[in-house]
Amino acid sequence: MKIRDLLSPFTVWKNLFRDPVTIDDPVRQRPGAPRYRGFHKNDVKKCIGCGTCETICQNGAIDMVPVDGISAKDGDSGLRPRIDYGRCCWCALCVDVCMTKSLTMSNDYQWIDRDPDAFRFTPGVDRKKWDDAALGYQRPDDHRLTPEERVHMKELGPDARIGSFIEIVKGYSVEEARKEADRCVACGLCTATCPAHMAIPDYIAAIRDGDYERGLRLLYDTNPLPEVCGRVCTHKCESVCAVRHEGDPVAIRWLKRHIADQVPLDQYRAIVGATEPATGKKVAVVGAGPAGLSAAYYLARMGHAVEIFEALPAAGGMMRYGIPEYRLPYDQLDKDIAFVMGLGVKLTLNTRVGKDIALDDLRKRFDALFISTGLHLGRSTKVPGADHPKVFQSIDLLRRVTLGEEIFCPGEAIVIGGGNVAMDIARTLARLQMRKYGKVGVTLLCLETEDVMPADREEIIESREEGVILRPGYGPTHIETDGDRVTGARFVRCLSVFDENGRFAPRFDTADEIAISGAMVVESIGQGMDLSYLPDDLKNQIVFERGRPKVDRHFRTSVPWLYAGGDIVQGPDVIHGIANGHAAAVGIDRYLREGGTT
Amino acid sequence: MRELYEQLKRLFPLGEYAEQRRDLSFVTVPQEHLRPLLIHLRDRAGFTHLVLLTAVDWLEEGFFQLTYLLNDRAAKRDLGLRVLIPRDGATMEGIHDLWPTAATYQRELREMFGIDFPGSPRVNEEFILEGWTGMPPYRRDFDTKKFSEENFNHRPGRATKDPAKHMKEKLYPDEA
Ligand SMILES: Cc1cc2nc3c(=O)[nH]c(=O)nc-3n(C[C@H](O)[C@H](O)[C@H](O)COP(=O)(O)OP(=O)(O)OC[C@H]3O[C@@H](n4cnc5c(N)ncnc54)[C@H](O)[C@@H]3O)c2cc1C
Ligand code: SF4
Ligand code: SF4
Repeated sequence: MKIRDLLSPFTVWKNLFRDPVTIDDPVRQRPGAPRYRGFHKNDVKKCIGCGTCETICQNGAIDMVPVDGISAKDGDSGLRPRIDYGRCCWCALCVDVCMTKSLTMSNDYQWIDRDPDAFRFTPGVDRKKWDDAALGYQRPDDHRLTPEERVHMKELGPDARIGSFIEIVKGYSVEEARKEADRCVACGLCTATCPAHMAIPDYIAAIRDGDYERGLRLLYDTNPLPEVCGRVCTHKCESVCAVRHEGDPVAIRWLKRHIADQVPLDQYRAIVGATEPATGKKVAVVGAGPAGLSAAYYLARMGHAVEIFEALPAAGGMMRYGIPEYRLPYDQLDKDIAFVMGLGVKLTLNTRVGKDIALDDLRKRFDALFISTGLHLGRSTKVPGADHPKVFQSIDLLRRVTLGEEIFCPGEAIVIGGGNVAMDIARTLARLQMRKYGKVGVTLLCLETEDVMPADREEIIESREEGVILRPGYGPTHIETDGDRVTGARFVRCLSVFDENGRFAPRFDTADEIAISGAMVVESIGQGMDLSYLPDDLKNQIVFERGRPKVDRHFRTSVPWLYAGGDIVQGPDVIHGIANGHAAAVGIDRYLREGGTT
Repeated sequence: MRELYEQLKRLFPLGEYAEQRRDLSFVTVPQEHLRPLLIHLRDRAGFTHLVLLTAVDWLEEGFFQLTYLLNDRAAKRDLGLRVLIPRDGATMEGIHDLWPTAATYQRELREMFGIDFPGSPRVNEEFILEGWTGMPPYRRDFDTKKFSEENFNHRPGRATKDPAKHMKEKLYPDEA
């Protein structure tokens, strides 16, 4: 040791009588510069608890914590960031990345407290004197760490698509998908909103890693129809994506499709894995729509023998006989279905339960039943003339188009209804007219005004591009007929669709009447269920709630061996059907393993 | 400042030009032309002061970008020269003979990015890091998070929740 080291403590004494370098200045405040990075502020109403700030913090200074009065809901985890100033280095990365711009910094940096734990608090929740500070650092508007715009999806233009039923959306290339996957911040807020609770951030990460096998396994954990959902899912997940607050939501649906598109069917089995050993139990599924197929898939995986009974000549339900080919090509639907069948599921087609085979027979031959027969009865407006043979139901026409039948298709057609199904039939008719007459003559009318039409925005835009005329805000009064011909229909302006209590009770201005000409009218205002295949004694045992069979969380009806799902129970889309089928499969499996008695 | 760029372009093979403000522009320069350009700017164009010398790590592209920021006091304007050098075995000719202060920047870049400036005074001596043996910390492949976790304690009582798991717990605990 050097002598200097021994003496140096004493040299400190010489500073004792010097003026201190730090100054105690209680009179004059010394504010930070206007963009100073001081203590954080968080607008907790704007914050969505995505935790991206926590993820980016290189000092591990942030914890996501529950907060009184803020609960988890769609698009908000209910958590809020809590910062440990013992670790924070004031770099502001958290502010720069914040998905909602709720997190900012004040220019306040002076705070003295003897309790070290006081320097760990939740900005915006634990009141601080700088909460209202006007100055301080916030992310400049043009400064973004995540790209705002989603990777462009190639689509057929109106001219190319109107003459055919070719798929409109082209799909991402590997590079495009990886770029889009890079926009995901992996917060997982979407998973709660997805009815099937898919592991969305995980399969997006698999795309980023180029690991499509892992991606496919993750999809099949919760969804056995990825090619379908990757195209036509209602994608509620995207409506809660954290990225949407400051840009386009991540294209979750297209990314899902990308994974399935990337893997050829013959590799699925090796990737997703084989079924469990046979249990010797047998389950019948009535209806081969998404709910039935999903139940069959998961039951087969669990080792049960499954047979599906389907009235129509092919499986798929509304995915095949409702959704038009230009949105969901049959070969993609077939790919999903083929993998379900490949697990050994038996499919008995052209067999309507209640007509070709009695439900009681199924009850005798099988240990449990899952019914998922969907909504296949079109609802009528019941206005005068609606019972004319040239007035059709949209779902009947769509089914007949899929079956390859030639449908009545005059040069002028009227569609009544403002939902996606109405759009599907309007755009289908437009294509058929284009083929037949070289021009489009479809007018679509609905009660709702355009801003509240239930159809998706893209459907409205694309149908217009294809030449469909939209007249939102009108309700029909009667259909004009002349012998065996329809000549048109009359409509009056609709003032409001619902009453104060939110009940359907349209009000009209009868003075504002319009006449639309057309040789056919298609009604597309909703569908009902046909449960006539249930024998009366069984029906009496089933508890119904608002017209639908009541089920528990495993989708079991009041009859122990009878499970139900899909549109007859919940709806309104494919992914709810898939989730119902999966939940029911788990319930049926438990019921069968417990002996199948209660 | 575009005229200046046009003038310089007649003398030197310059790359991209970017004007950030009226009084602040950046020019990309091939590595071998930096020195003559600096001398020209210092001795003939009024850029007498070296404001700073700094680097950016373009990890994915495999190079470091050095930025030499010069100030023309009389005209109140700044010009930044950008030079791209390969990240592998990163080495750059020093300019401490043109501006002695450059030696300090070069020493800092040596320590923080691992860019060598052979012959620069005290370039291999510790600058602000003491006893550092790991990867230079400003390189983008340096794991800052891991470093801070290994070197700084957490106060007891901290706990965090994963948003997706928390939502499952709160919103759908019984579902698959
Ligand atoms: C035109 C149209 C477009 C749609 N577009 C979309 C979309 O883009 N995205 C989306 O997510 N959802 C869409 N939907 C809704 C979606 O198709 C349904 O929610 C979903 O198919 C319901 O699934 P499910 O399994 O309950 O019934 P379904 O798909 O209706 O399947 C029921 C099956 O049961 C069969 N069946 C009925 N009765 C019997 C019986 N007695 N015996 C044997 N078999 C029987 C039927 O033939 C049918 O195959 C659309 C619906 C329609 C009508
Ligand atoms: S300012 Fe930097 S160190 Fe502090 S909490 Fe935010 S990210 Fe972490
Ligand atoms: S990144 Fe922003 S919105 Fe997300 S939790 Fe942090 S403060 Fe809230």
